[in-house]
Amino acid sequence: MYGGGNTFEGIKPDEHTGEDPIQLAEFEARIDRGEKIEPSDWMPKLYRKQLIRMIEQHAHSEIIGALPEGTWITRAPGFKRKMALMAKVQDEVGHGQLLYSAAETLGKSREEMIDDLINGRSKYSNIFNYPTFTWADCCFISWLVDAGAIVNQLANAKGSYGPYCRALDRICAEESFHLKYGHHCVIYLASGTQKQRDMFQEALNRWWPPMMHFFGPSDKISVHTEILMKWKVKMGSNDDMRNQFLDMYVPKIWELGFTIPDPNLKKDTETGRWMYTEPDWEEFKRVINGDGPCNKERLEVRRIAEERGRWVREALRTPKTAYLTPLA
Amino acid sequence: MNHEAIKELLYKMADDQLILGHRNSEWTGFGPLLEEDIAFSSMAQDKIGHSLALYTILNDLGEQDPDTTAFTRTADQFHNTVFTELPNAEYDFSLIRHFLYDTAEALRFEMLGQSSFEPLAQLATKVRGELRYHTMHANIWVKQLGTATKESISRLQQSLEFALPYALGIFEPSPYESDLINDGIFEGEKALEEKWKKKVESLITQTQLQLPKWETITPHYGGRIGNHTEHLQPLLDEMSEVFNIDPTAEW
Amino acid sequence: MKSLDPRVNRLPQTGSANTTPKVPLDQFGTFQVFVQPKANKPFQHEGIVHAPNLEMAYVLAKEAFTRRFTCVSIYVAETRNIHVSVLTEGDDDAYDHVSEAAQEGKKASYEIFHMFKRGKQHQHVGTVEATNPNEALWLASKQLRTEKQVFNIWAIRTSDIRFTNQEDLDLWLTLPEKKFRDAAAYKGGEKLKTFLDASKK
Repeated sequence: MYGGGNTFEGIKPDEHTGEDPIQLAEFEARIDRGEKIEPSDWMPKLYRKQLIRMIEQHAHSEIIGALPEGTWITRAPGFKRKMALMAKVQDEVGHGQLLYSAAETLGKSREEMIDDLINGRSKYSNIFNYPTFTWADCCFISWLVDAGAIVNQLANAKGSYGPYCRALDRICAEESFHLKYGHHCVIYLASGTQKQRDMFQEALNRWWPPMMHFFGPSDKISVHTEILMKWKVKMGSNDDMRNQFLDMYVPKIWELGFTIPDPNLKKDTETGRWMYTEPDWEEFKRVINGDGPCNKERLEVRRIAEERGRWVREALRTPKTAYLTPLA
Repeated sequence: MNHEAIKELLYKMADDQLILGHRNSEWTGFGPLLEEDIAFSSMAQDKIGHSLALYTILNDLGEQDPDTTAFTRTADQFHNTVFTELPNAEYDFSLIRHFLYDTAEALRFEMLGQSSFEPLAQLATKVRGELRYHTMHANIWVKQLGTATKESISRLQQSLEFALPYALGIFEPSPYESDLINDGIFEGEKALEEKWKKKVESLITQTQLQLPKWETITPHYGGRIGNHTEHLQPLLDEMSEVFNIDPTAEW
Repeated sequence: MKSLDPRVNRLPQTGSANTTPKVPLDQFGTFQVFVQPKANKPFQHEGIVHAPNLEMAYVLAKEAFTRRFTCVSIYVAETRNIHVSVLTEGDDDAYDHVSEAAQEGKKASYEIFHMFKRGKQHQHVGTVEATNPNEALWLASKQLRTEKQVFNIWAIRTSDIRFTNQEDLDLWLTLPEKKFRDAAAYKGGEKLKTFLDASKK
């Protein structure tokens, strides 16, 4: 589950100069032909750097994303929900595994990436820094955060880097279960008792602002990423992704009789674009930089998991199987 | 066929699988290695699935529906062995419990493959592949960690010694032992225990772990008749927290 | 740490907030995983697992790559045992870069995999008997090359692969029944319709 958005920092003007012009031309021609880049290909330093950054953040978002829903894993009501939620949270860990592997093909090891995560040197999706107070919060994530992630991931799956695309194809196929399961849960809350309906309405009120943040800052204020668009690293603008999400899911939320907490939310029938209250980008920045309700806990939990698992991993290391970068 | 005897067998198997599956699911997202996090979670899901299948058979025998059975009873109404309800502690204990318990479970289902009670025989045949994976997984991990570093060997050794009395509690004698045997439903806890000891011995001898002499270990009984530790009721309260907001609601 | 997650509240407090920096690359081996989705389909590369040895790689790969969808068999091989051809682009065929290799040593069988399109997985296409990996690629160009363009070729000595044994085939027995991991098990349509009809009244 990943919404991009905070992936790219500004690119310094000199960062993509100094490459061999012939190799660069061949590389760009390959992308223009629609051929994927594979790990053993030559690639510009900036391409490698930004891809590592993006795939790594995506991977972190999966394993951190397992935590807010994991909050309810021992409390899911009834067998059907219990088994589904276990499988769903497990999938998030599985997606992390797939994505770290894809990033590894670019030359950064999983250990280094996880080290950067727990020491705060690497980011992950902002939305997972918010708490899941009730079962309904968990259902909101399963349905709508996954829905947002799928919008983003389907776009990224058309990108230029082979291993990332392959991982995303698999992830998107797996997430179709998440989305259906999440929607199913919310339908049951909507058509249930007043208490159940209220639970979801309250969750919706809490999660709407971070959901709007999920796709990243508005195009008006986000950094320029033309070169990354050209290289098919970034596949769509933040506002386009957000609009696509609103288009697909606002009607489904309304259909269930819930109120989205934004009085200005409506579709402009002429432009086909959604209009909404501008999200609070200051809060977005604050939370990304560590000052959200759950940032500390998320990293601390991950750190403890790493610490507790250390003796296990040490016992798995044998001189015979020194690390080799995966092939594909 | 003696239904009381069958129910007693089904309840303890189902409760074991539910409680241990629940415990093992607590590791999801906190595992020592991503690949292992995934594998351990799958096996926890299998266990919950087995418990559901067993409660469904009970339901067919006139007991309440699986959700009600699993989510509304109190600790003293549960028949799981105490072994399954103990907190996860560190991975060494969770792994040793997985090895000791699943070895017994795989053997039990293998024996039930020939049961005269058809639904159980069918289930046993169906889940044999899952149990094969569980024991394959447990064996290779215990072999690896039981022969690797000083720390891993000593952790596993300590957990093994702590776990064994509880593990023997799996085979707490049943009041229906002779009925089950005579009706060809199940060969009984005693026979299972003997097979289990052989399997455990053969695996442990392939490691640097030491197995204490069986006669020095006092089995921890009581779980099968509802005598539990202080750990079970909080587990159940947590498991049914949402369910009990409104047990008549559909979730 | 006081958390909404009861599991987190039970975590032991270990270590300090500052973890000791890791030695770079202090991780173990990588193994390539191949999956056969159906009995009549070829094995296909699906990804990697980290593991200390081939057997554990097999056990871990099973859940990492085949807990969903369909699978009848898998196999794994250590990354260092995969012999890789050049990677080509456009209409350049990888086999055009394979040159004749001398026979050296004993014959062994090699499994051959083709990448038919950049961005797609390598697929198993057949087996050759060769004395070394380069000869295996050369023999593959004679025996397994077809009209279809190939961008990259892998050769793995058969004895370096952990295959699924006959007695392991049961492992996927219940996979089709695990409906709780399947989107099709969550049809909310009926419930939704009843709800919408009721709310219209």
